[in-house]
Amino acid sequence: MSQKGGMMNAKKFALLALLGCALGPVSQAQIKHIEMRVEGMT
Amino acid sequence: MKQHLGRQSGVQSVEVSLNDGKVDVTPKEDGRIDPGQLFKAVYESGVSVAEMDVLARGKVVKDGSGGFALDVTPNQSFGIEANDVSKELEALAGQSTVIIVRGQLYKKPAGKKRQKPDISAPMKLLILEVQKRE
Repeated sequence: MSQKGGMMNAKKFALLALLGCALGPVSQAQIKHIEMRVEGMT
Repeated sequence: MKQHLGRQSGVQSVEVSLNDGKVDVTPKEDGRIDPGQLFKAVYESGVSVAEMDVLARGKVVKDGSGGFALDVTPNQSFGIEANDVSKELEALAGQSTVIIVRGQLYKKPAGKKRQKPDISAPMKLLILEVQKRE
């Protein structure tokens, strides 16, 4: 019984790891900084 | 202008340098910020943008028109203007490589007076430098 539970956890962990690898780079994509040069400022 | 920009969605902090007319905007942690909206906000403050540069992290993808784009968030991408730097990046399209680039989203045409921003038109990214490939 405990062995079956352990197997399920391993499957869930593998699935989470796979999702993390697939989604990780996209979720880290972002705009990090914006710099503007403006005119007419006093 | 600093307060007005600071109220825009996704903005964490704004630094304004009166001496050289420079405005630095740091986005919030998730990086979900709309440069077009900032452009409009600057115009509403009574000044105009002469140049807008961005440091962005994303993936190169092919866009629908046969060109290339940089996906910076799942629902935000910028078409890439072709130049020598962008040509080197075309091979990365569709791959999982994430790049950090410094690029120009806007430069006021020479001789033009203050223009009302057209935020309906997509901004194109002229990549000036690739800082990192991951």
